[in-house]
Amino acid sequence: MTQNLPIPLSLLQPGDQGEVVSVQAQGQVRQRLLEMGFIRGARLRVEKLAPLGDPMELVIKGYHLSLRREESSCILVEPVAG
Amino acid sequence: MTLTIALAGNPNCGKTTLFNALTGARHHVGNWPGVTVERRSGTFEDSGSTIEVVDLPGTYSLSARSEDERVASQFLASPEVDLVLNVLDASNLERNLYLSTQLLELGKPVAFVLNMVDDAENRGVRIDVPALELLLGGPVIPTVGNREQGIPELKTLLATLARGESVRCRRITVDYGHDIEGELAKLQVEICRDERLEATMPPRWLALQLLENNAEAKRIVAESHASEAIRQQLARSFAFLEPHLGADGATLVAERRYGFAHGLVKEVATTPDDKKSPTAKLDAILTHRLLGIPIFVGVLALMYSLSFILGKIPQDWIADGFKALSTFAGARLPAGELTSLLVDGVIPGVSAVIVFVPVIMILMGCIAFLEDTGYMARAAFIMDRLMHHMGLHGKSFIPLIMGSGCNVPAIQAARTIESPQDRLITMLVTPLVSCSARLQVYIVIAGTFFTPFKAALAIIAMHFLGLALAVLMGRLLRSALFSGPSSPFVMELPPYRLPMLKATLIHMWEKGSIFLTRAGTTIFAGATLVWFLSRYPGIANREWTLDYQQKRQAVAALNLPPSESDERLKALQLAHESRIVNTSLAAKLGQKVEPILRPILDPDHKRAEAWKDVIALTAGFVAKEIVVSTMAVIHQASEEPKEGERLSPLQVALRDGSGLTPLTALAFMIFTLIYTPCLGTIAMIRREAGSWGWAAFTVGYGLVLGWGLAWVTVVVGRALGYA
Repeated sequence: MTQNLPIPLSLLQPGDQGEVVSVQAQGQVRQRLLEMGFIRGARLRVEKLAPLGDPMELVIKGYHLSLRREESSCILVEPVAG
Repeated sequence: MTLTIALAGNPNCGKTTLFNALTGARHHVGNWPGVTVERRSGTFEDSGSTIEVVDLPGTYSLSARSEDERVASQFLASPEVDLVLNVLDASNLERNLYLSTQLLELGKPVAFVLNMVDDAENRGVRIDVPALELLLGGPVIPTVGNREQGIPELKTLLATLARGESVRCRRITVDYGHDIEGELAKLQVEICRDERLEATMPPRWLALQLLENNAEAKRIVAESHASEAIRQQLARSFAFLEPHLGADGATLVAERRYGFAHGLVKEVATTPDDKKSPTAKLDAILTHRLLGIPIFVGVLALMYSLSFILGKIPQDWIADGFKALSTFAGARLPAGELTSLLVDGVIPGVSAVIVFVPVIMILMGCIAFLEDTGYMARAAFIMDRLMHHMGLHGKSFIPLIMGSGCNVPAIQAARTIESPQDRLITMLVTPLVSCSARLQVYIVIAGTFFTPFKAALAIIAMHFLGLALAVLMGRLLRSALFSGPSSPFVMELPPYRLPMLKATLIHMWEKGSIFLTRAGTTIFAGATLVWFLSRYPGIANREWTLDYQQKRQAVAALNLPPSESDERLKALQLAHESRIVNTSLAAKLGQKVEPILRPILDPDHKRAEAWKDVIALTAGFVAKEIVVSTMAVIHQASEEPKEGERLSPLQVALRDGSGLTPLTALAFMIFTLIYTPCLGTIAMIRREAGSWGWAAFTVGYGLVLGWGLAWVTVVVGRALGYA
């Protein structure tokens, strides 16, 4: 397989893993995401989607976090084989 | 000598439990000045010194963007604080240490509590405490807050540290690497040109915040005379760092901080076992794609029943007790102003306050339980999509649903929403949700003017209308008041934990007592005012009082059988009260205001008594259930139906005498739903939103919206041929 290209986190499916490449959001959202651990190279795993399809639950830095599609689509990740 | 310790930490790190364990019952809950963030402080004694502990709001960082963070960082920087106690969740060390890197930069001595070490050990995480102490440069005490394990040691340590008798705190700072450190040093030089700026906060801390592009830091700098030089240096630093290190300042700083935390954790802690944690097992069911929603509905139903069905029992005792007291006093005391003040003003006023306490305590207890277990975050996770479409937050769902029992505790329940915008909007729209008190009005009115089937339909429609309006107003307020993007929904799903009964009980007690002291006075004052409006000047009319007393004596002298005598006395009382109320200031007000309400309550201008509705609605301002009892007085008819009859005398009087038609009756119901929240709700909005302005706004928009909707109903109804 060729080198994985960065894709928005919102495209990952439950069970998928990825590595953060960059946070595209600006301002308050950006700062909040950085603080919560979305820094370059951070590993994450998508746990599940909420029953209504949004938000998503993911594990990063060893804890569980919920993100709306609005936010997860601004995070670029490189898919990693689990 | 009093020493002050600030308790800082992430949300869900067990900070409040630790606070309770340290201070016991000796604490005080209030608000931070100017904001509606709760301020909790308490004291403990240790070998002669009094130590004050201030529990800061739980935050993930000190970037001063949210109200919580602003409060925390301002307080931590103030000279008031002698020592910072950083509470760390041992099972989630890395993210918790991010905040620690910031706390260490504030320049105050920092001690650490490694809380919930038992949880961590269960997950297979063992932490080398001496190594952690060395790397953090301050003492670390392992505790299990909810079992009070480690608390005595902590107290002793805090006292010695705060007295300055220990030198165990060294300055440790994160090393941001050669390039960033170089720029930080240059920025610090510029900052130090202004001595006042230098004194407000450590220059290194300010420089870091500037590199992070922090708006609050920029605002502080803008006020300085050195602002121009600092700004230029900052621009040069960005121009150097960004191409050089391939990211903007905020990313670089966050990366280095996490780098520090990550390295530290690798050094001192073992990695967790990969076995499935109890939380993962629970979440497999509780947030399941299909089961998640039904389970949530079940939890909601249970909470609702506990609060409004179980809670209604003590509520009824309280209401009955006060009613008995009022009857007793009314029968014993001579008729007159003072008696009326006591019987119709003070006693119902106090009763109107106290009846709320059981529901508030039970509902708040349930909510605290859900929060402390970690389920509240899951509830928000499950409902967020739906609520987000409505311009609200996942956590707004519970207050809205609980509002259908009673708006007062529902508004208090909005406190679980972290974002102040979402919380304010939720509080402002909750009064539109039809509560059980309004139901009593619908039952009387709909039962009078509609067939039983249509009445039931109308009542259900009222509840749906309330919810629909809450949603519409939510969207409207969101776009009108907060034009910016809605706050990010980045919510931690903390591990499930079994809360301590003690903590839940303390929480319930706090909420109940806050309501009594802060909202109680407002409700009481309002109730007295409405009593005054609806009793004066008639109550002071000596002739009427004398006349009433003579008539009573005349009945008593007839020596009738007790039941008949009682009935006649009741009729006399009703007639007397009716005379007073129908000539009162409220009645005059009603006659003045009536033209405004004419389009909705009297479109043909044929009703002679439309002003009487205004009296009932004015009284409904105190509590909606009073609308019915006031109507009974106004129309001189009992609200209790006679045996074997469907309609009560009040309903017959309304049907035959009031001039309301089915259409205007419906308009009346709609108006009652919306026109104003009751005093309890208003007092609660004032307390929770922190200003009278929002409380007044809620009343104002309710009146306008209620009138508008009732008017549309009448106009459309008539166009369709209804009367």
